[in-house]
Amino acid sequence: MNPSELTLLVLRLAFLLMLWLFIFGIVYALRSDLFGHRVRKLATDAPPAAGVPFASPPPAPVAAAAPFAQPPSASASAPTEQFSQQKAPAVPSGPEKATTRTATRLVITSGPKAGTEFPLGSEPVTIGRSSDSSLVIRDDYTSTHHARLMLWHDDWMLQDLDSTNGTFLNGKRVAVPTSVPLNTTVKIGATSFELRR
Amino acid sequence: MPRQSNPAVDAREAAPKTGKIRRLHLPQKLRNLELFLLTIACGVNLGAVVLVQLGALGLIDTTLVLLGASLSGLVFALHFVLRIVAREADPFLLPIATLLNGIGIAMIYRIDIANNESGWASAAVRQTVWSGLAIACAIAVILIIRNHRVLFRYTYVAGFVGVALLLLPLVPGLGREVSGARVWIGFGDFATFQPGEIAKIALAVFFAGYLVRNRDSLSMVGRKFLGMRFPRLRDLGPILVVWALSMSVIIFQRDLGTALLYFGLFLVMLYLATARLSWVLMGMSLFLGGALIASQTLDYVNGRFTNWLDALNPAVYEADGGSYQLVQGLFGLAKGGLIGTGLGQGRPELTPVPQSDYIIASLGEELGLAGLFAILALYLLFVARGFRIGFAGQDDFGKLLGVGLSFVVALQCFIVIGGVTRVIPLTGLTTPFLAAGGSSLVANWIIVGLLLRLSDTVRNQPRLVV
Repeated sequence: MNPSELTLLVLRLAFLLMLWLFIFGIVYALRSDLFGHRVRKLATDAPPAAGVPFASPPPAPVAAAAPFAQPPSASASAPTEQFSQQKAPAVPSGPEKATTRTATRLVITSGPKAGTEFPLGSEPVTIGRSSDSSLVIRDDYTSTHHARLMLWHDDWMLQDLDSTNGTFLNGKRVAVPTSVPLNTTVKIGATSFELRR
Repeated sequence: MPRQSNPAVDAREAAPKTGKIRRLHLPQKLRNLELFLLTIACGVNLGAVVLVQLGALGLIDTTLVLLGASLSGLVFALHFVLRIVAREADPFLLPIATLLNGIGIAMIYRIDIANNESGWASAAVRQTVWSGLAIACAIAVILIIRNHRVLFRYTYVAGFVGVALLLLPLVPGLGREVSGARVWIGFGDFATFQPGEIAKIALAVFFAGYLVRNRDSLSMVGRKFLGMRFPRLRDLGPILVVWALSMSVIIFQRDLGTALLYFGLFLVMLYLATARLSWVLMGMSLFLGGALIASQTLDYVNGRFTNWLDALNPAVYEADGGSYQLVQGLFGLAKGGLIGTGLGQGRPELTPVPQSDYIIASLGEELGLAGLFAILALYLLFVARGFRIGFAGQDDFGKLLGVGLSFVVALQCFIVIGGVTRVIPLTGLTTPFLAAGGSSLVANWIIVGLLLRLSDTVRNQPRLVV
C-alpha cells in the first residue's frame, strides 16, 4: 500500500488542522480567563438569605430540602452559616484594629446574602467575581479580581486590586493598603461586610 | 456553590434512621474536560506516528503504535489518579504535555527511520520508555506531595540538593563529557543522565522558600537613584552567589545554556518577590558582563558567538565546530516553508543531532511554520497556565514556586528555540517534552506533577459566593 501524493497532502493538512483545533479548543475552554466571568443577574428584591443557606444557582439538594440541616462542617473552611443576631455587634469606643486574634469572622451586612458569615483564618481572603476568589461577589459592580484582605504582621489589611468601581472602607475609597478596624463596613459593589470578633 | 472536593453529607439520610454518611456525587467538570482534551491529544499523537510511517515507509507498522498506546494508557492512569487525589487540578496541563511529548516521539521515530535504527538502538523506543518512567514520576509526585507547603519546610535541603546535583558531573569518574559540555553523569557505558535538569526543580523550590523568608531586606531598604530603588551593598550577597554559581557552570562545565537558565530563574523569582526593576537591571548587566568576558577569554563561548553573528560566512560554515549545524537547521526550516514537507517526507536527518537539540528545526521542516507555531502556542498555553496558577495562589511560597517552575520551561524554550532560529547564540539545552533525552523528560513531567498539585491546593475554592 503506497499512498498517493494527494492522500499524503490531504492527511498532512488534516494533521495541522487537528493541531490547531486542539489549541483553539483549549483557548475556548479558557475564555473565562480572558474575558472574565459572566455577570449573573441578581434578583433585586430577593429576601435576605437569613434562613436559606446558599441558594446557589444550581440548588444543592441538601440545601433545598433541609434548610437547617447544614452539612456538619465538613471541613474547617467550609462555609458555615450562623445567625449574626446571636452576638450583637459590640460597638467599640475607638477603632480597634482587626488582627488575627481579635477578628474571627467575616459577616456580610448588606446585599443579597446579608447575614451570612464565614470564619477568618490566617489565610488571605481574595474578593472578586472570578471563581478563584475566596469571597465571590457576582454583581455588575465587582471586578474579576476586586480586592483582597491580607495579613500584615497579624493585622488585617484591605487592598484594592485596581478595581473599576472601588472598594470603600467606612465610606472612603481605599487607595493604598489600609488596616481594617473591627466592625467597620467595607463596601464592594452592592455588598458590604464587616470583620467581627 | 457546593464545594466539589468536600464530601458533603446528605442530611436527609443522616437524620433519623440510618445515620449512614453518603458522599454526594458531583460531576467533575474539570476532569471531564481534561479527559476530553486528553483523548484528542492521544489521537493527534497516534495520527503523527501513522503519518510518519505513511510518509517515510509508505505502510503502517504496528510495533511503535502499540508502544504509543501503552504510553497513552499511562497518561490516562495519571488522569484517573487526578480524579481521586487532585480533583481541582488544572485540566489543561496534562493534555498539552501529552501532545508535546507525543509529537516529540513521532519526530524522533521519523529520524530513526532515516537512520535505519530499530529495537533498543532506536531513540524513539528509548524515548517512549523514558516517557513512561517520567509519567510514573509525575504520578508519584502527585501521590506523595499532598500539599505543596510541605516543600517550604525543605527549602535549604532543596538548595543543597540543587547545588549538589549541579556539581555532580564534575566528580571524577562519574561525570561524562558529551560534545564539550560536562553536564552528564553515567554509570559504566549506559544510563547517562543530566542531573542539572532535576537541579532546576530543586533550585526553584529553594529560591521560592528563600525569597519568601528573606525578601523584606531585599525589597524594603536602599536608596533611590534614577527613579529606581537600589538595594544596599550588603544585600547584594544572594545575587552575587547565584551569579558566581552560573559563571562557574560556564567555566567548569562549559555550558552556557544551563548557566543562563539558572540565573534567569533566580532573577525572575527575585523580581517577583520584591517587585523591583533594579534587581533585573543589575542581574542582566552582571550576566551580560560575565558572558562578554567569557566570550573573549573562553574559546568555546567565543566560537558560539562567531557562529551566531557570522553564520553564513563560508569559512565559519566549513570550520570544525563551525556554524554547519546551525545553518543546516536554518536550511531545513526554509525548506519547510508555510505548511512543511509533511511528516516523514523531509530530510531532517541532514542536520547533526536532529532528534535532540535540533528537534525544533526538524519539526519546522516537516510541519512548516503552521506546525511550529502550533507547538509554540502549546508552550505558551502551558506556561500561561502555570502563571495563572501562581496568580490565583494564596500563599507567597506557592505563588513563587508556580511562576518559577513555569518560567523555567518558558526560558528553556526561549534559549533552545532562540538558538536554533539564530535569535541568540546557540547553547545546548533540551526542548522541554519534545527533545530526545530521559533526564529532561523526567524533570519536565515532575514539573507537570508539581504544577498539577499546586493548582489543586492553590485553587481557592470560594468560601462564600454572593
